[in-house]
This record gives sequence, structure tokens and C-alpha cells, in this order.
Amino acid sequence: MAVFDTPQEAFGILRPVCVQLTKVQTTENVERLQAQLQTVSDSALQELQEYVLFPLRFALKTPGPKRESLVQSVVQCITSILSTTCVKKQDLLQELFSELCLCLSSPSGLQPPAPLSEELKLTVIQALHVLMHSAYGDIILTLYQPSTLPHLGFAVSLLLALAEQEKAKQIKLAALKCLQVLILQCDCQEHHRPLDTVETRQCGNLFASFLPGISIALSRVITGDIKQGHMVTVSAIRLFYQTVCLVMADEQLATITQDEEKPSGEQSRLSELVVHRGPDWVKSTADKLSLLIHKIVEFASLHPHWKVRMELVELVHLLMLKCSQSLVESVGHLLKAVVGLVNDESNEVQSKCHEILRSIAELRTVAENRDLADVLSENLHSLATALPRLMNSQDDQGKFSTLSLLLGSLKLLGPKVSIVLNSAAHLQRLSKALMQVLELDVADVKIVEERRWGPEDSLGEPLGSLQHGKGQKKYFRFFIDERIFLLIQQVCRVLGYYGNLYLLVDHFMGLYNESVVYRKQAAMVLNELITGAAGLGVDVLHERETAVSTEDLKGTITSILEEYTDQANWYLTTSIDTEGTSDELTVKHSRVRAISRGAHSSSLISSSSPSSDPNPTIRSMNSNIWQICIQLEGVGCFAYVLGKEFRLLLVSVLYPVLEKAGDSTLLISQTATGTMVDVCRACGYDSVQNLINSNSDYLVNGISLNLRRVAHQPHASRVLEAMLRHSDASLLPLVEDVIRDVLSALDQFYDDRASSFLGVLSTLVAALVQWFVVVKGKEHPQEQNLEQQRKQGKGSVITPMVQEVEQFFLDYIKQKQIAEGNLPAMEEEEEEVQALPPEPEMDDSGAEGETPLPAHAQIAKDVMERCIHLLSDKSLRVRLKVLDVLEFCVIVLHLHENHLLPMAHRAWPALVTRLINDDPLVVLRAFKAEEGYETFAVTKPPQYQQPAP
Amino acid sequence: MALPPPDPQFVLRGTSAEVHTLHFYCGGQEPDYPILFSGSSNGLIHVWNLKTRRVDTILDGHGGKSVYWVEAIYGRDRLLSQGRNQKICLWDLAEGRNTVTDSVFTENVGFCKCSLLKVAQGHWLMAMPGKDLDEVQVLELPSKTSVCTLKPEADAKPGMPMSLKLWQPDFGSCPFLLAGYEDGSVILWNLSGGKILSRLACHQEPVMSLDFDSEKTKGVSGSSEEVLTVWSLDEQQNLKVQKTHKLVNAGIADVAIRQDKKILATAGWDHRIRIFGWKKLKPLAILDYHTATVHCVSFSDHSRPSERLLAAGSKDHRISIWSIYNQTSGALHCPLETRKPD
Repeated sequence: MAVFDTPQEAFGILRPVCVQLTKVQTTENVERLQAQLQTVSDSALQELQEYVLFPLRFALKTPGPKRESLVQSVVQCITSILSTTCVKKQDLLQELFSELCLCLSSPSGLQPPAPLSEELKLTVIQALHVLMHSAYGDIILTLYQPSTLPHLGFAVSLLLALAEQEKAKQIKLAALKCLQVLILQCDCQEHHRPLDTVETRQCGNLFASFLPGISIALSRVITGDIKQGHMVTVSAIRLFYQTVCLVMADEQLATITQDEEKPSGEQSRLSELVVHRGPDWVKSTADKLSLLIHKIVEFASLHPHWKVRMELVELVHLLMLKCSQSLVESVGHLLKAVVGLVNDESNEVQSKCHEILRSIAELRTVAENRDLADVLSENLHSLATALPRLMNSQDDQGKFSTLSLLLGSLKLLGPKVSIVLNSAAHLQRLSKALMQVLELDVADVKIVEERRWGPEDSLGEPLGSLQHGKGQKKYFRFFIDERIFLLIQQVCRVLGYYGNLYLLVDHFMGLYNESVVYRKQAAMVLNELITGAAGLGVDVLHERETAVSTEDLKGTITSILEEYTDQANWYLTTSIDTEGTSDELTVKHSRVRAISRGAHSSSLISSSSPSSDPNPTIRSMNSNIWQICIQLEGVGCFAYVLGKEFRLLLVSVLYPVLEKAGDSTLLISQTATGTMVDVCRACGYDSVQNLINSNSDYLVNGISLNLRRVAHQPHASRVLEAMLRHSDASLLPLVEDVIRDVLSALDQFYDDRASSFLGVLSTLVAALVQWFVVVKGKEHPQEQNLEQQRKQGKGSVITPMVQEVEQFFLDYIKQKQIAEGNLPAMEEEEEEVQALPPEPEMDDSGAEGETPLPAHAQIAKDVMERCIHLLSDKSLRVRLKVLDVLEFCVIVLHLHENHLLPMAHRAWPALVTRLINDDPLVVLRAFKAEEGYETFAVTKPPQYQQPAP
Repeated sequence: MALPPPDPQFVLRGTSAEVHTLHFYCGGQEPDYPILFSGSSNGLIHVWNLKTRRVDTILDGHGGKSVYWVEAIYGRDRLLSQGRNQKICLWDLAEGRNTVTDSVFTENVGFCKCSLLKVAQGHWLMAMPGKDLDEVQVLELPSKTSVCTLKPEADAKPGMPMSLKLWQPDFGSCPFLLAGYEDGSVILWNLSGGKILSRLACHQEPVMSLDFDSEKTKGVSGSSEEVLTVWSLDEQQNLKVQKTHKLVNAGIADVAIRQDKKILATAGWDHRIRIFGWKKLKPLAILDYHTATVHCVSFSDHSRPSERLLAAGSKDHRISIWSIYNQTSGALHCPLETRKPD
């Protein structure tokens, strides 16, 4: 198609069409003009702009009713002209502007928009949009004079009405877009002239008149039906904050003085329409806006589409940035929005929130602007007050956002947390809320039911199998979502990070002791507080001023641990099996540190301890199990916090934990095992075994003391078993001491506790066999030799010469002494300990035999002595076990026949009885033991050959 | 029902020999931890770190012969120890050293423990059994010069000194020595004149141990019989029996009055530690843990009363540490145990 470049040519082409259109205003004629316009170059058209526009405008202006299709095509034509040309005249712009607006007004003029077709509306809106873009340079600003206020106002209300009331998404979007252009905030690619300060202020003044209308209408759009699509909401939000920023910007308001811009006479009528943005006006507007903002925030932060939430974050960002002074009332809502969205599911929103929060925090607006800090602490207070109610009523998603909000507020408050929490009311509410939220569900029977079977070999598991910080999965009464727990965890840690540790620990310790109802939750909170205080696993916006010193932490942890491992909190009834011991335990409570803690213990006794409950319910047992688990997890946490420093606390903690590792309740034993691993890692031991070995002296102490208490004997023997299983011969001198305690305890309770002690004894003698007879290391070459000898001569009767043995021992002692002499100074206990075993000058055990017995043999002998008595126990299990032990004893003692033989002799009658008339099982076992006898007993007494008459 | 007695706070193991003597040192400031010195029958001195409850150092300087007295001098860096090899050693423990820097040879072969008294900054008096069986010698430390030799008159025949206690009424005044003898008498010596001021026959059997409270000027002594005697010293420097307490089982190996003069602990041959109120000798508790004779008891001098401990060493190789009656509120109003030991 030919293109007419020069205006003359173009004029020639266009003139007839225009004339035709002026005469007869039909759609066809408009279309003809439109067609001809295609052939005209842009520059030519620019020259002829007014000429071409004339017939079109004329068509619009003709009085009387017009057909919609005509209007539509005319407007379309105008749009196409304007899109390629620019408006250079102020009058033309204003006239076109009002003419276009009029297209949509209803004939009555009062009720815009007119009930026109959607196409027409869309076309007109687009035309307006194009018009605004085609305005040349400064010309556009002429539209923003007080004198044009009515025109603008009309356009604004028209567009708002369209945005609000239309059904079609397209129209809504177009109207909003157009409004955006109208307030000079267009974000399109085209070049817009940036406004200078004065101009901006002028526009601000002007739009102040529209602010109420725009904001109310937009808030209605934003909070409208979700079905309108997220795009509409997003642009409405954008428009909202742009408008607010334009009018309420702190920067502008600061320059406005009381008596500025007196209305001049001739414009007085119009000037009345212009708002003077004085402080009063700002105040009242901010109040009203605050309501709207609140509404928008509430709605948008729960909007399912992430872009809406993103836009909300943007809103907060801009308003906080530009209007934080004028909108101080709304800052609370704004912060709430962004803080609540910090943990949004969408990563974009999250990172944006973080960015904004960080920028707010960096600005120190919160910390220095008293108002903001007040707002936050007020928020915190009301939130803490509402939290319990919300936790009851909201769904998990709602709870999640509520807690996010709490966390965010705390984070924003930062170091001010400690000041806020100095207020008793705040702390009280917050802690009570946490207590309620963290309430565990203790109805599960399985927790109580599940037992641990078999020996606790799990301790030997490799370190990697358990991860730190996992803990047992807990079931809460008020929520299921794991994320909620993580949030609460963060809340506690942030509290610990910023708060006054002493105050908080004291407070929660108070709750811990106040009632069984709070105990578990308080312990959970305490664990996290400490973790937070150490700065571990917390995500914060600004650094605290002073970190808690390790010494303080250690002190706090020590006192918490003391409380955790206190009798009343550590030995709880967790199963009905132990009911027999529970009454003994109750008695124990009264002897809790009878002398040393006189003042303290009275309060403990009086507090209703769950274990003193004579009839434990499933619920209370479940609760007790959880309490122990949480406390165990606490130990792990504290170890993690203190690292190697925790080694010092092992004195008091290791024993209780190891004790729980052998607990019969599966959950407890699992948790305790996990704790052992945590402790082990924190203290820098390479394996749990190493941990136990290096601290066996502490354990021995615990065992020995607990053996003195009837109720704790089973625990003590369990710990000893675990120790023996995980240790080696170097442990013997230490254990020897305790074994004497075990034996004397056994002597006191032959009747009812034999079975629990037999477990230890059998582990013990098995360990002795392993350490001294079936040798692994090179520490006991003498035994190894004999062992080989024994193996070679297996099946036949071995006859080691007594003298040989004696000579060997003498040599051994000599060598040992030489070795000792070479040691420069025995600095370590271990060395000293190793030097121990056979020291003739101090050995009082050698009194009866001519050769002094080494320690392990003496132990075996002592154990065997007890076995003789127990062989006739009335319990089948005990008898079987005794036979096991007996066999091991014989193996250990076989090298010391001077001692073995008399013992064997004494045991014989009882053994024979077992063979003759007992349960078949026992007979079988006894027969095996007797075989052992035959293998190891060197010279058999005559009656050995004829066991049964 | 009276409350049952408590268990030890913890037990120190690993001396692998009978424990004959104990001495606390808690004087250090915070980073320093309280320590306990123990001397045992195998001639070793163990330095226990009471924070970790483990042995820090082992000192071997008495040739495998029993150590039956240890005391810190010059803070924690110097230690005096007396052993059955007839030597009193001065140890240098500063900066991880553990060497004997000086020693005194005692010609006595008895069991009598020395007694140390600080008379001035850097000056001590040490009473030790002398060359003759019934003689007590007092040395000035660190110069090791003999201050005096206290020998009873020939006709007195109190036998060997069994236990010694140097004391002075006020800091700087003339020191006195209280000595318990084999014949069961306690003699008050004036060091300046080397004269006997008073002699009190308070036991039928040798005086195994004694302790003296210089504030109330009264002391307590235990012997191998079943009587604990409290005697006082009046203004005329006369010793008088004030009260005796009959025990069920005979034999008191050691007595110790706590620094705050509130309670008294005794080490019994019957394996038990007994606690009495010092004011009226009211029995407060019987601490039953050891499985053999208790050889010694000692109270710590920790600056915080709540951390003052009692340690007892026994023939069963263990040292038990007790935390008792150390709450500051601590009126000793509740007698804990009135049960008779069997």
C-alpha cells in the first residue's frame, strides 16, 4: 500500500473522507477514515492531527442519542490517531479528556457509568490511556491544575466505578491501569518525564482530594471476591499504595506549612475543592487509612495467590519507607503483614520479606523510633493474650501465621525483647501462651506399651546413625503440623537469644515447678531458651549487643540439670511393672537430700509429684515418659551448647542418662541413647564406648551410691551392666570396688532382688572371661599362653603344674614392677590404676590360699560363692541364670585350682540336686555346667564320676 | 519420723590403699578449683580436683610408707606431708611441679600427726613428735629451727604423744600446744616456757585425736574407747572435763570441728562418721557409708558456706565427700538421726 509522506498528499487523501464523515456520521464513514489513516505516515498525520480529529470529535459532540457502535468506532479511531501522534496543545488535551470521559457518563449525568456495552467501555478506557500517553512533555501537567480538578475528579470516579462494578476482568484491569496513568505512576516502558519536587507536591495536593474516594473504592476491590483473579487484586493493591505514597509521603508533608496557599479570589470556588494537607488533615486521614490498611492486610496476607501476597509485601515496603511518619498508626498492621509473611510458602515472598525486615531493622527505625517499638510491644502483648484462644480456634494454617507473626515481632524487637519482657505482664502472658500451645497429647497408649527388648547394644551403634537436634517426634494437642513446632522452637530460641537469660530461666523454672501440667512444656521451652542463648540455630535480624558468657551459661545449665535430674523429676512412674518399686520411691522423696537441702526439699515434697500417685493412669504414665524424654533431650541440647565444657557436668549427668538408656520403655531408652550420642559428640569423644570408658569413675560413683537405695538398685545394676559391656580390663580396679557393693547388696536381698543382680553378675563374669581368659589385647600374655595351652589340650584333662603357674605369676609381678619403676611419675589415674592388680604386700585376699589371687579371680570366687546359695532359688529363671554364671566362674577360676576346687566341691551338692529333680530345662543347663566342671576341674573329686546315685 | 541420713555427695576412688589423712584447700579464687589432698598407706599423696572429682597429680615421696599427715602451706603451691618413713616433706606444687624441695627427718616412729600454726606472714610453727618417745618438738618454718622441745617431767609418764594441736588465743599472741598422750591424758603446753600448764586425764585409753576451738576455748578428744570427751579451758589455764558422750562402738580415729564452730565430725572404727552439734554435743547424724574403719575426717574451708564439704577417708580405700548442714539458713534444729547403730 502506498504511503503518503507529505502532509499535502495526506491531506489530499484524508480531506474527502473527513468531509464525508462530518456530513454523515456513520460507522462506515468512520471506518473509511480509519482505513485511509493507515496510508498516512506518522509525521504527516501529526501535522493533520487536529484536522482529522475534528470530524471525530464533532461526531461525539453532536447532540442527541447516538448509536453505541458509532461511538465505539469513533473512539477507536481517535485512539489510533493518538497512538501515533502526540498532543501538543493544552486545550486539545483537556477537551479530548473531558469528551472521552463524557462518552461513558450516563445521560442523566449523575450515575456514572452509563449502562453501555462492555466493548465501548473498554475502548474508551483505552482511549483515555492512550491520550495520557500522547500528551507532549509539560502539556500533561496542565491537566493537574486546580482548575481542572472537576474534570479529573470525574474521570477518577468514573474509572473507580468501572474497576469496582464491572464484571469483566479486562475492563477492571484497564480501568486500574488507566487510573495508574492518571496519578502519574504509570509503570509502562514508555518514557515518562520524572516530576520535580514542586510538581510532585502539587500533584499530591491535588490528589489529596481524591484520596478518600480512591482508597475506599480500591480497598473494596482488593477485598472483593477472590474469583476476580489475582491480577485485579495485585494492580488494585499497587494503585492503592502508589496513591497513598503520593499523598501521604513524609517528604512532602514535611514541607507543607500551616498557612500555605491561601486561596486567591477568582479561583476560590475551585480552591475549596483543593485539600490543604495540614497536620489535622493528615491525622484524620491516617486514622481512616489505618482502618483500610488493616482490612487490606488481613485479606491479602491470606490470599491464596503468592503474587498478591508479594504485592502486599511491596505495599508494606513502600509505605514503611515513605510514609512511616504519617501512617504511624498503621505501622503495626504493616509490620504484622510482613512479619507474618516471613515464613511464607513462596520463596520469593519469603526472601522479599527478609529483605524488607532487614532493611527496616537496619534503619533502626524500630529500635530508635519509640513509636515503632511501642507498637511492636503492644502487638506482642495483644498477640500473646490472644494466642491461647487462637490456638484453640484456628486451623493449622491460621496458627502458623499467628505464630509467624509472634516470631517476627520478636525478631524485629531484637534487643528490646529483654526490655519488653521485664514487664511481668508481658512475660506472664507470653509464657502462659507457650505453655498452652505446647501442651502434648498424652493419650497414646502405645508410648506406654512399647517395651525395649534385649540388651542395650544400641549404645554401640556408630555415631552417624543419630542426628543431633532431631529429638522424638512429639504429638501436640493443639496442632499437628510439624512446621508449627519449628516456629515455636524458633520463638523460644529468639527469646533466649535476646532476652535476659536469668530472668527467663527463672520464670520458666518457676512454671516447671509450679505444676505437673506445665512441666513438660516448661522443660521444652527451657531447652530451646538455652540453645537460643548460645546463639545456636537461631535466625535473627540483628546481632545482640552482648552474648551470654560461657560461664553464665554453664551456671544456668547446671542449675537446670540439677532440677531435671532431681529424684522427683527423674524417677517417675512410667509403667505398671515398676509399681512395686514406686512406693519405695515415694519414701525416697522424703529423703531427698535430707540434710543438705533442708530448705529446698520441703517444697519438693509438698509439690504434687506424679510418681507419688498410687494409681498411675495411662495418661499420667505417658506424660511421665514424655517428661523424661524432654529432659533427656535437654541434656543433649545443653551438651551441644557447651561443647567440651560439658565434660565437667558429666559428673552428675552421665549416670542418670545411662540409667535411662537401659529403661524398659522404648521411647525413653531410644531418647537416652540419642542423648548419649549427642553428649559424646559435644564432648569430643569418638564413640559412646569411649565416653563411658573415660568417665567410668563417675559412673562407678553413681552406681555405688544408688546401690544403697533399694528402689534404685535395678537401675544401678543396669548401668553397671552397660559399663561392663562397653569397657575393657582397665576398668577392673574401679569396678572391683563396686562389685563388692553389688555383692553386699545382693547379700541383703537374696529373696526378692536376686534376679536383677544376677543380670549384672552374669555380665560381669562373662566380661571377666572375655578380658582375662579369651584374651584380645596383649595386656595379659600370661593368660594368653595358658589359653593356648588349654585350647591345644582341649578334650583331654589339662594338668598345668602348680609351680609353673606360681613361677609365672612371680615373673609377671616382677616385670610389672620393673615397668612401674620405669614410669617417671604416675600422673594419670589410669596408669596408677593399671599398676594395680597383683600387689602382694597389700593383698589381703591371699590369706586362705598360698598363692594370692589376682583381682579378677577373687571376684569370680566371690560371685561363685553367691551362686552356690542361689542354685536352689525358687524361681526357674534365677536357677537357669545361676547355672550360666556358675559356668563362667569356673572358666575364670580354672587357672587357680587351689581356690576352684574347694568352691567346686561346695557347689556340687546343689548342682546334683538340680540334675536329679528339677525342671527339664534346668537339668539340661545343669548338665552343661557340669560339662564345664569336667573340662576345667583338674582333679575331680571321686564323687564327680558318679553324680547320681 | 526423723529423716534418714543422706548419702555421700560423691565418693573418690582410686587411691587403692587405705586413706590416712585428708586436707582441703579451697582458698583459690574462681578459676581455681577446690582441691583435696589425701595421703594413703601406700605412700602416695593424691591431689584431687574437686571440680572434676579426679586425681590431678600423684605425689610419691615417702618410699611406699604410709602418709598420715598432709597440710597445704603458702596457698596451694606448697604442701607439707608426713610419712612413716620418718620424713616430713615440703613439696613444691606450683606450675605443675611436684618435687620435694625440703624435708625434715623425724626420729620418732609413732603415728602422731604433726600440727601446723601460722604465726606470722610467711612464718609457721610446726609441732611434731620428738626424738624421745614422750617428747614433742616445735620447729619454726621455713627456717626449720627448733623453737622448743616439750618433754614431760620424768614422773609424769604420759607415754607417747598421740595427737597434737597448736593454737593461739589471738593472732600474734603466745601459742599453746595441746597434746593427747598414750595414757589418755591431754596436756596443755605453754610454748614460750616449755611448761605444762594443765594436764587432764580424760580417757582410759590413748587419745587418738583431738581438736580445739580457740574461740570458746574448749576442745574435744576421742580415744580408742567408746567415749568422746569435751573439755574446756578456763581463765586460769586449767583443763576441765565439760561433757562426755558415750558411744555404742569404741574407737574414734579422728575428730574435726568445722571452721564455723557449729558442728563436729568424728571418724569411727565402727565404719561410721558421726556428726554432733558442737555447742551441746548433740548427736545429729550418723553417716554410714564406709565398709571399713574410717581413718580421718576433714572439713573444707570454702569461702561459700554452701560449698563447704566434709571428707572422710577410710581403710576401704575410699574417700567419701559429704555435703551436710551447709545451708546458710542452717540452724541445726532438726536432729536427723537418733537410731542406734547396731
